[in-house]
Amino acid sequence: MMERKVVDPEYMFKRAPREKKFLIGNEAVAEAVKRANVDIAIAYPITPQSEATHIVGDIYAEGYIKDYYRGEDEFNVMSAIAGARMGGARTFTATSGPGTLRAFEMFPLWAGARLPVVCAFMCRGVNSPLTIQPDNIEIGWLMDTGMLIFHAENPQEFFDMTLQAYIVAEQPDVHIPIGVCVDGFFVTHTREIVEVTPEDEMLPPYDPSTSPVPIMDMEVPPIRQMRDPFVMKSNYISYNTHASWQQEVRAAGERAKKHIARYVGKFIEVTNPDAEILLIASGTAAAQARVAMEQAREKGMDVGLAKIRVIRPFPEDEVRELAENPRIIIVPEHNIVGWLAREIKSRIDNSGKVRGHPRVFGGMTMPPEFIMEEIVNGRAR
Amino acid sequence: MKKNIATISPGFEDIMPEEYQDLVNDGPYGRGLGIKNLGTFKELIEEHPLCAGCGLALAIRLTAASLPAPEDTIIVGTTGCNSILMPQLAIHNIHSLFGNQSSLAAGLKRALKLRYPDKNKDVVVMAGDGGIADIGLSPTLHTWLRRENLTTIMLDNESYSNTGGQESGMSCEGAVLNMAPTGKKFPKIPMPEIAKDSGCAYVATVSVANARRLGRMVKRAILVAREIGPTYLQIFVPCPTNYKFSTSETLKRAKEREKIMEYISSEAEKLIKEANI
Amino acid sequence: MKSSIRMSGLGGQGMVTAANLLGTAAVKDGKYSIVIPFFGAEKRLAPTESYLRISDEEVYEKGEAVYPNIIMVFHKDVIDKGKCYTMPFYEGLQSEGLLIINSANKVLIPEYDISKLRELKINIIYVSASKIAMEVAGTELATNMVMLGALIGVTEIVTLESMEKAITERFSGKTKFIASGTTAALDDVLKKKYTKAAQLIEKNMEAIRVAYTSTKNA
Repeated sequence: MMERKVVDPEYMFKRAPREKKFLIGNEAVAEAVKRANVDIAIAYPITPQSEATHIVGDIYAEGYIKDYYRGEDEFNVMSAIAGARMGGARTFTATSGPGTLRAFEMFPLWAGARLPVVCAFMCRGVNSPLTIQPDNIEIGWLMDTGMLIFHAENPQEFFDMTLQAYIVAEQPDVHIPIGVCVDGFFVTHTREIVEVTPEDEMLPPYDPSTSPVPIMDMEVPPIRQMRDPFVMKSNYISYNTHASWQQEVRAAGERAKKHIARYVGKFIEVTNPDAEILLIASGTAAAQARVAMEQAREKGMDVGLAKIRVIRPFPEDEVRELAENPRIIIVPEHNIVGWLAREIKSRIDNSGKVRGHPRVFGGMTMPPEFIMEEIVNGRAR
Repeated sequence: MKKNIATISPGFEDIMPEEYQDLVNDGPYGRGLGIKNLGTFKELIEEHPLCAGCGLALAIRLTAASLPAPEDTIIVGTTGCNSILMPQLAIHNIHSLFGNQSSLAAGLKRALKLRYPDKNKDVVVMAGDGGIADIGLSPTLHTWLRRENLTTIMLDNESYSNTGGQESGMSCEGAVLNMAPTGKKFPKIPMPEIAKDSGCAYVATVSVANARRLGRMVKRAILVAREIGPTYLQIFVPCPTNYKFSTSETLKRAKEREKIMEYISSEAEKLIKEANI
Repeated sequence: MKSSIRMSGLGGQGMVTAANLLGTAAVKDGKYSIVIPFFGAEKRLAPTESYLRISDEEVYEKGEAVYPNIIMVFHKDVIDKGKCYTMPFYEGLQSEGLLIINSANKVLIPEYDISKLRELKINIIYVSASKIAMEVAGTELATNMVMLGALIGVTEIVTLESMEKAITERFSGKTKFIASGTTAALDDVLKKKYTKAAQLIEKNMEAIRVAYTSTKNA
């Protein structure tokens, strides 16, 4: 293990020198974990996540992580992650599709218990029929758990957002979990140029004393903090506490916005905002949409692109503003339910201009030509 | 926990609740107390919202009074009757979800080992029979198989009492309960044997009617878990509500069906002898 | 220049490794590249493809190369047994594109498809890659190297110097290469075959050079 030094997060994200590597997404996220000063990593194997936590295991063997093991299943992995976070450790874990669903009960718990867990979701289709291929339907389900959701387009964003997620999640006025999502295979197994920060520089360690809820280590008096609790009681105060607690979790998400703006950057990256036809997309669909936009503009069509990088907290004001000008909004997605189109429609006034197509799911690629077809159809209307 | 952390800041004596003052002045933190001292100190539990005659509530009270280091113990519970009582213990405790208490405790224990390498932080899993032997069997076994330094205490009332008296894997064969309307079809899950085979260094069974022995077993189980590996203690806690007997008969019933068993690995034997407990 | 390449074959033939090497070499030449493997849960001999985009400008497009301008067929089953993710195997190939097939047998493609390919003005190159791999490297596992050599010979898509650097990096054992668990297992087979990493690298380069020279001069 090499000697390493703690550096300022903002320096690491914005000013640190970068070395060009040619990495798959799973390698990129592990490179991030190596620089994230993680105490404990726990995971359960599942395609297309597995290689990432294999490499994290190698990093542990080299001494960069203090504890690591393969758990018994995703539900219990996410439980152990919760326990480790309640004990004041910084953690890493990752899962995919069916694993996400098996673990699902833990995600609202992470949020409700105010645990700043960082979890990578390498999205994959879910059964049945059995598939291991890319499909991000799970993000649609994760959106309402109270977790914050970043959606990375490529291995570079996967690297950056994973590191940034720790710093945003651990802010005392946030302190809720963040899911860093990517589309399986299209990012996890795709090799691209990734610019990484120096290997000998790492994030500052997590400081448990900044937690807004007590760390479960018996170092603060338990008396009155846990007594006469509102848990499982049948009275007005109990119900009201549960209600306001849920609101507080959402409020923490809203408070995260300023930290996201500072550390992660733009919620939405916009090209040609005044275009007649605006493509709004996230993840891999944004990459395909960018190619389609370029093809369309070469043919003289007035097309723009808004890539949404942060799904929770949702950038409602920005989306409302963006939605005012274009005649048509096209939302290409890698899932059957169209969670992004649904989200946009529910936030803007004139939802009739939103076309939730194309939707590609079940493992297939979305050729930019599909999006092009929507653009051409849209113009004809 | 450093004892002075719990003390009351000057000027606040009047406004702090009475039971807090009692805990600070007369609580069990750092005093090495046990069952034999009951009645002479302020207990970790003052009241509970469970049924009259509840065997489980008494078992938690006795366990709390027997913790070798209450000032550095964290309890992980799970859904069930225990989860209604446990938050009222004056000790850090966690309601996980239903069935994941052992895996959560494993993560917690590992985190505390990293953060306090020179200090014992005892993590105790205390849950019902349904939580441990049915819905949580997988993580229970896996923490044992992985040799996690955890104490698992089952409060065995042989049913799902909180949800209305359904049959559990720990109910006896033939027991007629909700969801076993014609009698349970298979025998009680042999958890002590499973614990032994899965690597527990200390396995014991007792009933809530046997307070002193129970107290000693709690101390042994936690000490062995701290130094050697996983331990398992199964406490029989009859439930008058769902087994429909008089609330005054709980201890009598417990005594009648009590099975005392103690398995101690040779390594644990040595440790227990040295500690003289 | 923008190239979109689809490599189709059977698991174990090295399409994933070939695409990674080619992408790595392109990046070493100062270009942009995205490499994507596509395989099912099956292990060896199942349809496996990899997709590679190489360009002088930044590449965004991900996923399968649906409209490639180069297709490389590593196994005849791709053509006559439907062992690929598109049917027919050349579906989407752009006109005036390039098709490289690992086969000594030129009558492999049905008459109907041949006329289609002629309409599209496709340049079809046949290479006895598996045979050359056996002759030069002593193992069919070097088939992918021969295929790469043929491609570079026809297109000069990357320089041989960068390819050599990429191969050295990949097989020197100094950096851990991650593609899939099965790829790692096959790596071990190769390493057992050769006593030294240097020998493995040299044999691979030799396989590339033989195919490079023969297609370049053809």
